[in-house]
Amino acid sequence: MTFVSKKIISISILLVCSGLAQNSLDDQYNYAKSLFDQEKYFDAITESKRLLFFDEQKLYGFEANMLIGLSYKAGAKYNEALKYFVLSEVNSKNDEQLFNSVILSARTNILRRTTQQSEKILNSLLANPKYFNRTKEIKYWLGWNYMFSNKWEKASEIFSEENLDSSLAAICRSVVNESYNENFAKYSSYIIPGFGQFYTGEYLNGLISLGWNVLLGYLTINSFVEDRIFDGIITGNFLWLRFYIGNTKNAEKFAKEKNLTIINNALERLQYDFNGSKP
Amino acid sequence: MKVLLFQIIISAAVLAQNINFNSPENIRLFADFLFCDRDYLRAIDEYEKYLSYSDEDTIRFKIALAFSAIGDQYNAIKNFNSLQETSKLYQISRIEELKSLFNLKQFSQLNSKANELNQLKSDYSDIAKKIVNLSYLLNNESMPSEKIFLEPFDVQEKTIVQNFYFQKTNPDYKSEVLAGVYSAIIPGLGKIYTENYSDGITSFLLTGLFSYLAYTNFNNDHPVRAWIFTLAGAGFYAGNVYGSIASAQIFNAKINFDFINDVYSFIEEKKYFIPEYDFCK
Repeated sequence: MTFVSKKIISISILLVCSGLAQNSLDDQYNYAKSLFDQEKYFDAITESKRLLFFDEQKLYGFEANMLIGLSYKAGAKYNEALKYFVLSEVNSKNDEQLFNSVILSARTNILRRTTQQSEKILNSLLANPKYFNRTKEIKYWLGWNYMFSNKWEKASEIFSEENLDSSLAAICRSVVNESYNENFAKYSSYIIPGFGQFYTGEYLNGLISLGWNVLLGYLTINSFVEDRIFDGIITGNFLWLRFYIGNTKNAEKFAKEKNLTIINNALERLQYDFNGSKP
Repeated sequence: MKVLLFQIIISAAVLAQNINFNSPENIRLFADFLFCDRDYLRAIDEYEKYLSYSDEDTIRFKIALAFSAIGDQYNAIKNFNSLQETSKLYQISRIEELKSLFNLKQFSQLNSKANELNQLKSDYSDIAKKIVNLSYLLNNESMPSEKIFLEPFDVQEKTIVQNFYFQKTNPDYKSEVLAGVYSAIIPGLGKIYTENYSDGITSFLLTGLFSYLAYTNFNNDHPVRAWIFTLAGAGFYAGNVYGSIASAQIFNAKINFDFINDVYSFIEEKKYFIPEYDFCK
């Protein structure tokens, strides 16, 4: 009986003591978390690093690294954030924690515009049967990844699948519908100078382009007709050809500029009007 | 049994020690970790916290080093200067101050501080001389003789530094006047002289072409076109002379830019000749 009670006492002492040690780490974690919640990211990182430094048994390896990663991400320091999300992935204790770390890595890569990397991460998650029940979430971020890599059609398709997000699908569709075909703008101007400018709504530029090309074309051809070969070559080479090529480049430039405006407007809507989860 | 129980209680007590994250020892340990992890901004904060418990020269020195590492040279100098002459880190802190002054391009102050160090007959006098001599390469003061300039450097360093000395005293500049004159005689030649070959050939061809067009049009009684081509040719000719002078200026600016970069790369690679610290070993 005495032996049993001594055993119980020893175990209790051990438990209480190790509990006490953990409590101080717990307090430290809560302190770091509260700083993060107050958006004091620099201090949150310091206190999380302090926690990691004194947590010799790595009890808070996942949580502290995750907090540091999130703080860096909130401060737009994406390279540093990625490093700590990878560390939190290494220190994860279950599939849920692993998933959250990997998703955050993908989201940070989207923000960092390393979209190929995030696509690779998200596709590997999609292929993992362990995360079959998280498919919707993975596809949601894949859709965001497509938007940031300028693949609006693919993004629209993925958001439309199983009604993943109808508002995002609508934004993507509007970008696809409003966008100008840059190749069409360029090559149509090869056939009729100024046509590409008309196509992109730049009517005055289109008329000017057409006028110059007609005038210089006439002067060139007229020179050849009147046997002024040298004049024809000079006018054709230095003037007409320059305006002709310039007209096609100009049409392409307008299409690109207009598309950029459309995309920027869509991104602005996403930033200010969209209330769902963002990378 | 009693011994075992006692052992368990002692071990548990050790285990259970509630970590005091803000004890001076722990602040210092954490600060050292941050310093070695190159998280200098946080390390400075922690070291400054530690200083409120215990004023130590090593900590002040590390704060200064951290400021220097993040490029805040003014605060670095301020902290290096806070070390007393009696400190064992005093002399090395003077060298670190020279490094900061070098980075701030405050060469005259660097010179006078190095002289003070030499008068102290410091162990680091040679390093000070090296930094001062390299600073001559970056300012407009007259260069010392080659012998004096090379004196503090060791055999390996001498080869590179001698080359720097030669480049500084005999820069491979192109004459702006010569470039202009060359282009006035043969259009484009000035640009070729400044190693801007494609522009040189283009200038030659265009000026030649317009001159030819002007000449043939005058010959064939097309005075209007002839004058247009003459004006265009004259414009190209004048532009080519002006462009050659500009090209020589750009060439010289590039020589200066590359030279300054090379000197900085060399001194950075040599870590300002300062021996490595054992703080993070």
